[in-house]
Amino acid sequence: MRHFLAAALLAASPALGGVTEALDAHILPGYAGFAEASAALAEAAGADCTAPALAAPYHAAFDAWMRVGDIRMGPSEHGALAIVFWPDARGFTQKTLQRLIAAQDPVIDDPAAFADVSIAGRGLFALDMLLFDTAFSGYAPQSYACRLAQRLTADLAAQAAALDAEWADSFAAVLRSAGAPDNATYLSEQEAVRALYTQILSSLEFTRDSRLGNPLGTFERPRPARAEARRSGRSLRNAVAATDAAVEFAEALADWELPATRAALDLVHEAADKIGDPAFADIDDLGERFKVEVLQQKIQGVETAIEEEIGLVLGLQPGFNSQDGD
Amino acid sequence: MNFKTLATSALALSLATGVARAETGAADVIGTYADIAAAAYGDSLSTAQALSDAVDALIASPSEATLEAAKAAWKASRVPYQQTEVYRFGNAIVDDWEGKVNAWPLDEGLIDYVDDSYIVSDENEYADLNIIANPQVSIAGADVDAGTITPELIGEVLNEADGIETNVARGYHAIEFLLWGQDLNGTDPGAGARPYTDFVTGDGCTGGNCDRRVAYLRAATDLLVADLQEMAANWDEGGAARAEVESDPDGLLRILTGMGSLSYGEQAGERMRLGLMLNDPEEEHDCFSDNTHWSHYYDGLGIQNVYLGHYTRVDGTLVEGPALASLVADIDPELDAEMRARLTTTMEALQALADAAEGGFAYDQMLAPGNAEGEALIMGGVNGLIDQTKSIERVVTALGLAGIEVEGSDSLDNPSAVFQ
Repeated sequence: MRHFLAAALLAASPALGGVTEALDAHILPGYAGFAEASAALAEAAGADCTAPALAAPYHAAFDAWMRVGDIRMGPSEHGALAIVFWPDARGFTQKTLQRLIAAQDPVIDDPAAFADVSIAGRGLFALDMLLFDTAFSGYAPQSYACRLAQRLTADLAAQAAALDAEWADSFAAVLRSAGAPDNATYLSEQEAVRALYTQILSSLEFTRDSRLGNPLGTFERPRPARAEARRSGRSLRNAVAATDAAVEFAEALADWELPATRAALDLVHEAADKIGDPAFADIDDLGERFKVEVLQQKIQGVETAIEEEIGLVLGLQPGFNSQDGD
Repeated sequence: MNFKTLATSALALSLATGVARAETGAADVIGTYADIAAAAYGDSLSTAQALSDAVDALIASPSEATLEAAKAAWKASRVPYQQTEVYRFGNAIVDDWEGKVNAWPLDEGLIDYVDDSYIVSDENEYADLNIIANPQVSIAGADVDAGTITPELIGEVLNEADGIETNVARGYHAIEFLLWGQDLNGTDPGAGARPYTDFVTGDGCTGGNCDRRVAYLRAATDLLVADLQEMAANWDEGGAARAEVESDPDGLLRILTGMGSLSYGEQAGERMRLGLMLNDPEEEHDCFSDNTHWSHYYDGLGIQNVYLGHYTRVDGTLVEGPALASLVADIDPELDAEMRARLTTTMEALQALADAAEGGFAYDQMLAPGNAEGEALIMGGVNGLIDQTKSIERVVTALGLAGIEVEGSDSLDNPSAVFQ
């Protein structure tokens, strides 16, 4: 009964404070940071579009993305998909890039037409392959592939700016006004809080199941080639960054301290520090496999802590997430 | 996997206590749910048996007419089967089995010949194995004797060979590929155009290895019938799936989990929006037959069926009973109205999509880059499905909160009991 009262009280008005905090301390600065970093990447590509010249600004843009990259609501419900098409079990990114380059497709000279190209040929994972896969990355300064890099980065910057604007100028207000009579999206503050809470748990689940689970494969058949962004060596970095982001998001959403969550995050970092290969290429080595499995468990620990420190306190259960299904 | 996460949640516990007080009994609603499953899987089985007969006729006497009859039988079997998909995510017994029957997408070059334009990605080295042309192959370092194509070879060796999900050797879509062949029309209209002569053994055989193609089609169809027999029996009186849901205190949550997961992540996301955003005609769910619009439609109808508690069988008879809708109406009539309205909106959007496709605007064309009209039709369905998911979440919450019996709930009094 004690808990129920606490939940009722917290759900009344402090929950709205949580929405505001989550927007102002996490979501909106996250999209603004990504817009800035991807604009810098596009600018760098304008000056020198060869692969080595773009590695550093590419990593900076991906790092910025990871802060908000797993959010799938509002403008990001559809908008994130052309930024990160992964996993790619049928090799669509490879096929799309090969097709564009083989045909010297002039679509790259038209920004509006390029926005209609398959999402497998756009966004961060198309860049990951173009810039870091040796089958593509050796292109010359005047080549079609170099111009493709310019288009990809400019397209990414445009998408980032659009997402940033849609969140800041429109969807943030929908969340802030949850429960207002004219808000048809969130009928109560609790619905808005739950929608945000679902994003946090979905992200952690995605990191565990896909970012780590895909390369782990099965004990008999590990799948290092299925590691996320393995070509640029970002696989481990993304897993840790996504977990950091989830905790930052959770701390913003809660108006109270989350000591167990913080402690669980420390264990994630400890486990990550022990992993040798940032792209999990050596995951077929039993010792290395075990370290990645430990990391998975530590991320599960963060999920459990957040469920206890936020979900239980507010009487919240996550809703359906976009990863449900196959 | 996701099913388990939700089903073992605290909400499951509070939901069960909450609905015990409602006027329409949860047990009756679950009974209707199981009855609809038994009828829809039974219809899937009977139509698959009709497909099997049509395949016999095709093999005995290959002709334009017998091939068309087999294709028609395949399409007819999709009607009840797609309406069962709403059972998948709420019932582990279905989800664990489903990959044998409806796995998709597939690298069809595993099975038979493909066009030169077919690209093998580095994700699947068996994507062009072509088992029909190759009686001796090597998979994951092991020699495989495929000299005789049997259900065992297809089911146990080829399907998901080397643990790769796109190695789909069995189920509706493998049979679809055998009957129609690749759709080489890109984002132009037209389905696969396999000639009936691909099934002529001896002189007149086209595509090579017709005897092996015939053997494959026969074996894959036998597998489908056997798999559907298994699931239909699971939902009959005394069947395992029925017993499981009827004895589960969280049975209602299974219904809602199936509705929400199919609506959002699976149909709106994976099947409809992703294909659109990839602009890839092979990303349509029934890509060889161009039957995708109906697959989407009957998936949506299945979701509506389990909420409203009725299902129209393939012979036209109606299966109906106490509905989840009545349970919700007892607690929150406005929410019930919202849920019904959103299910209707989705069905109208899926109907518009089907009408357009039947009217000559093929699903492949809708997927073409920059085709605004096609995008609007597909996104109409996607948005309807996403919106109805939000209402499904509200129903979950409403049923859970209805009894206001939070006191005494394990979820709040004993946190460690819930998060284990």
